[in-house]
Amino acid sequence: MKKRLYSIVFMFALTFVFAAAVSAVKSYNEERIQTNQQVKLQRIILMVLGVPVHEKAPNQEVVRVYQRRVRSMDVKGRTLYVGYAEDGRSITGYAFAVGGSGFWGPVYGMVSVDPEASRILGLAFYRHSETPGLGARITEPWFVKQFAGLPLFPIEGDKKIFYLKPAGPGKGANELDAITGATGTSRAVEAFLNRDLDRFLRETWNSVKRG
Amino acid sequence: MPKPLSSTQIFLGGLWNDNPVLRQILGICSTLAVTNLLVNTLVMNAGLIFTVCMSSLTVSILRKYTPMKIRMMTQTLIIASYVILVDLAISAYLPDISEALGPYVGLIITNCIVMGRCEAYAKNNPPWPAFLDGLAMSLGYAAVLLIIAIIREPLGFGTLLGYRIMPEGFTPWTIMIMAPGAFFTLGLFAWFVRAKFPQTAEEKKQGH
Repeated sequence: MKKRLYSIVFMFALTFVFAAAVSAVKSYNEERIQTNQQVKLQRIILMVLGVPVHEKAPNQEVVRVYQRRVRSMDVKGRTLYVGYAEDGRSITGYAFAVGGSGFWGPVYGMVSVDPEASRILGLAFYRHSETPGLGARITEPWFVKQFAGLPLFPIEGDKKIFYLKPAGPGKGANELDAITGATGTSRAVEAFLNRDLDRFLRETWNSVKRG
Repeated sequence: MPKPLSSTQIFLGGLWNDNPVLRQILGICSTLAVTNLLVNTLVMNAGLIFTVCMSSLTVSILRKYTPMKIRMMTQTLIIASYVILVDLAISAYLPDISEALGPYVGLIITNCIVMGRCEAYAKNNPPWPAFLDGLAMSLGYAAVLLIIAIIREPLGFGTLLGYRIMPEGFTPWTIMIMAPGAFFTLGLFAWFVRAKFPQTAEEKKQGH
């Protein structure tokens, strides 16, 4: 009986000590971890809006540029990031989050459109679990850069805003290169990005236009 | 009571004679998962070395007070606490690498080497030898991971630590980036070592 009680007290004490130590370290670093995530998102937003920030720029620099050039607003429960020009008055574009299931897991990205919502300005994917070297190439510049300038209105007779087709010449304005060897990821990106862009145009953008 | 091992014996055991990956085939999951980029491997190694050393040390310090029946529970608690510390440190100070390693840092908890060393060595030995044993074993693990990463990254990406080392026209071997590439590399490597330097009686017999 005494032995059992000792085991319980021992385990309790040990758990208390370790849990306290872990909690202490966590609360000490909490702010830093949150800032890291926030700044990461701000970097992505600035990048898709085409505001030049050096890749190695320190966090404070990113936050400073972000505060000057971007204001976020809430439209029907979705966050819209409004990009402003250097003067702080004229709008250069709108950015919003996109995402869906990829081939292996969720893919998170950010896309921006011009002030008339007629073309895509930029696109970036910042979190995913696609296969390195295959599906993970959605983050590579050659892939996301193709989206810049993509018209947002469906071309006559087309159901989707854009299509991903096997790489090669002779493609229409809304046909972009898919990733060779990553058909699953390409299809998934095509599906969720078309869906999110369409939803933006139908829901968010209408509210913005009405003011 | 067997004679305590000298530090040299402990290190020789961890790095070579009882190498956890090559000889004991432990810790394979993370070996397959994090060796496609050398930089991820380095961070993973640092995390594992810290966890194994500190867990072995703590288990050893508490060995005389820990009731036999709940020792596994205490070991899990100790290991999990250290792993969470590593995870917090990486996500606070190396956010990019934290993203790349994803769940694998947390999965150090389930790495057989950590609990294996606590059970096999630390719970019966004084703190200093237990710490050394943890260090030797995790260094043995780290060494194998480094070798595999040095084979996989150049073949899979054409780079090493992010610097291009393969010639311009080189076509990356996609399989080297994925888990099967690690299976082949690790399998061939373990086979080579075991065939060339047999340890167990069975290996010696097959060698001739």
